Amino acid sequence: MHFERQKLMALTEYVAPNPAVPETCITPYIKAVKEENGYAKLLRWQVAETFQDSKMIAVCQHNFTPSEEMLLMRHRLRKHNIHVKFFPNEIVRPYLSVSKYKNLLPLFVGCNLMLVSPEIKVKEMLQILKKVPQINLLGACIDNTILSNQGVVSYSKLPALEITQGQVVGTLSLTASQTCALLQHSSVHLTALLDQYIKQQSGGAGETDGEAGEGQAELGPAKSSVGLDASSLTTSCT
Amino acid sequence: MAVPKAAVALRHVKSVMVRLCPFQTNVETTRIFLEHVNSKKARASNINCVVTTDVRHDGSEPVVDIMFADGDRLIMKGANLTAAEMLSAFNSRCIAKDHKAEEKTKKKGA
Repeated sequence: MHFERQKLMALTEYVAPNPAVPETCITPYIKAVKEENGYAKLLRWQVAETFQDSKMIAVCQHNFTPSEEMLLMRHRLRKHNIHVKFFPNEIVRPYLSVSKYKNLLPLFVGCNLMLVSPEIKVKEMLQILKKVPQINLLGACIDNTILSNQGVVSYSKLPALEITQGQVVGTLSLTASQTCALLQHSSVHLTALLDQYIKQQSGGAGETDGEAGEGQAELGPAKSSVGLDASSLTTSCT
Repeated sequence: MAVPKAAVALRHVKSVMVRLCPFQTNVETTRIFLEHVNSKKARASNINCVVTTDVRHDGSEPVVDIMFADGDRLIMKGANLTAAEMLSAFNSRCIAKDHKAEEKTKKKGA
């Protein structure tokens, strides 16, 4: 081929354009935001309400229970204002991980049920649960205190609050009353001895009337002064 | 976790004792095993079988202690086992005992 033709051919050679970048490489993948299920929202609200309103929350393992036994158990618990609640673990666990009940998280694994109550009636709850062997108590949160199974049992054996308060008051006042008794002890003992002495003297007064009378007269003011001292001490103690 | 859907049969079981500490993190599989053992079909297969659960708070490992009717004992420590493994171990022993019982009845019949 002639040189000029060669040059022209080289110049006018077809240069294919670069292939366009496909759209899928340019546009970022936008994940569709899943709208929260309304039922999940409701359950979450119910869980929050349950944990806020209840003083006693017991978590139990729920094995299969015949429906009649379950119904009877619910009825007996309801008499003591204890409600039986079922919540899915997927709803409860996120709520617990954020709230102050974090340490209850390991309990919410598998099939559970919750016994909640605004009052604290542990003895009655344990008595009813004894009759249903398929429900096993795992742990409880009573009055913002997390307790294990043994903890709940020992809590049920505690005496009433008023009785324990009375015991504390009694123990505290015991030391003060002991101090009072110690201070009075010597003067009381002295008066008792003098009383006995007077009785002995008056017993021997039948033999010697005059001497007994003088002795009594001498003893009289001394006894009265001792008595006055003792009474002043008692008033100072109280 | 793939848990077999086949029901647990307690025909040859005398008693099942499950000891666990629920505040530990390794009790999930033991609890699932306990649910299967307490299922409707399992309880219906042997009404006389006693299933006891010992809930403790001493940090001990979860243990499943199964006493069979012929005196055999199966102890499974569920801390590092999956529920499927525990159930398959239990079911394989139950099947072996079924075979033994069938052979005995055949021998008696023959």
